Amino acid sequence: MNDRELIGRVLAGDPGAERALYDAHVDRVFRLVYRMAGDLDRAQDWVQETFIRAFDRLAGFRGESALSTWLCSIAISVSLNGLRQVRRARDREVGLDDAGPLGHQPIQADPDLRTRLGQAIEALPDGYRAVFVMHDVEGYTHDEIARALGVQTGTSKAQLFRARARLREALADFARE
Amino acid sequence: MPVLHDDDRDPLDDRIRELAREVNAPPATPREEMWQAISARRQAQPRRAPRPRWVPWAAAAAAVLAVGIGIGRMSVPASNRPTTPATSVADAPRVNPTAYRLAAEEHLAQSEAFLTLFRASLERPGDHRLASATARQLLAGNRLLLDSPAARDEATRRLLEDLELVLAEIAQLSPGSPAQDLDLIRDGIERGDVLSRLRQAVPTGTVPNHGAL
Repeated sequence: MNDRELIGRVLAGDPGAERALYDAHVDRVFRLVYRMAGDLDRAQDWVQETFIRAFDRLAGFRGESALSTWLCSIAISVSLNGLRQVRRARDREVGLDDAGPLGHQPIQADPDLRTRLGQAIEALPDGYRAVFVMHDVEGYTHDEIARALGVQTGTSKAQLFRARARLREALADFARE
Repeated sequence: MPVLHDDDRDPLDDRIRELAREVNAPPATPREEMWQAISARRQAQPRRAPRPRWVPWAAAAAAVLAVGIGIGRMSVPASNRPTTPATSVADAPRVNPTAYRLAAEEHLAQSEAFLTLFRASLERPGDHRLASATARQLLAGNRLLLDSPAARDEATRRLLEDLELVLAEIAQLSPGSPAQDLDLIRDGIERGDVLSRLRQAVPTGTVPNHGAL
């Protein structure tokens, strides 16, 4: 059954079709959301929110992009909002005086390149992070990213370029070793 | 800005990319657990009873006819108006297409003013009941326009459709709505570029009649 038929059956109230739609797309959505969340509980919450919103809005899906891209755009929107909330909650806990800057958190000295990279990715501005994760980690094309984020393809490329530059800068001392 | 290509990569990029795949590597998808939670939340949501298909169409047609004829009458010179009431729809004056355009411009100007105020109100905590009621009024007008000749213009139709989603979300706000709902609405406004598209669609000098506001 293709996406169009599946959507038709979901809109007609077929609960089996809802589950089929979920099964067809949940792995890809979960992978992306988990990469953004970096935490299983948060990832589960955000994936659930993604599908709930998708089912609620399915009647408005115009089919201009693939269903997977549309779901991805909801997942990214939910994830970016979630990250903003996590950051706000962290700021409240730490207190404004002690909170570090949002965009450029200092990278702690750590001998493990992977840990440093994880911190550097987390310190990227949200837009850069989303594009880097989608393109370089999950293999989305710039066209898919542009549709999902509601930006031009050129913006996606520019953000990837800048994200890579930030990460290189953060890991520069490893490169010299 | 230089032209960017996917292969504009430093040699370190390949190593970073390889390692990045190991950072936050997703575990197996907990699909059953998530599906149970999704099903439970969806069952807890109040389901809207499906309306017969003719109801919105009939309501929209009646309201558009009323609004259109009202505006159309205003656009007909007084000397041309019939002196006796029309006895049938066929006798009604033809609706001037300009009336729909003017109605759409007025609606878009009101929506732009409303969303600007609403977005500013998100910066401080408060009760969004008034915003929700206003959104419902605008939503009703939006739906009428979507079913009217004003929506024949592709750009206007898309703008009205995107506006409908945002207004519907605001209309559903209640005092108990979680903060995440507000974030999602703000995100919807920003990502769809709804406000700037509204500003572009409203001709300079259009001052909204604050009927809905």
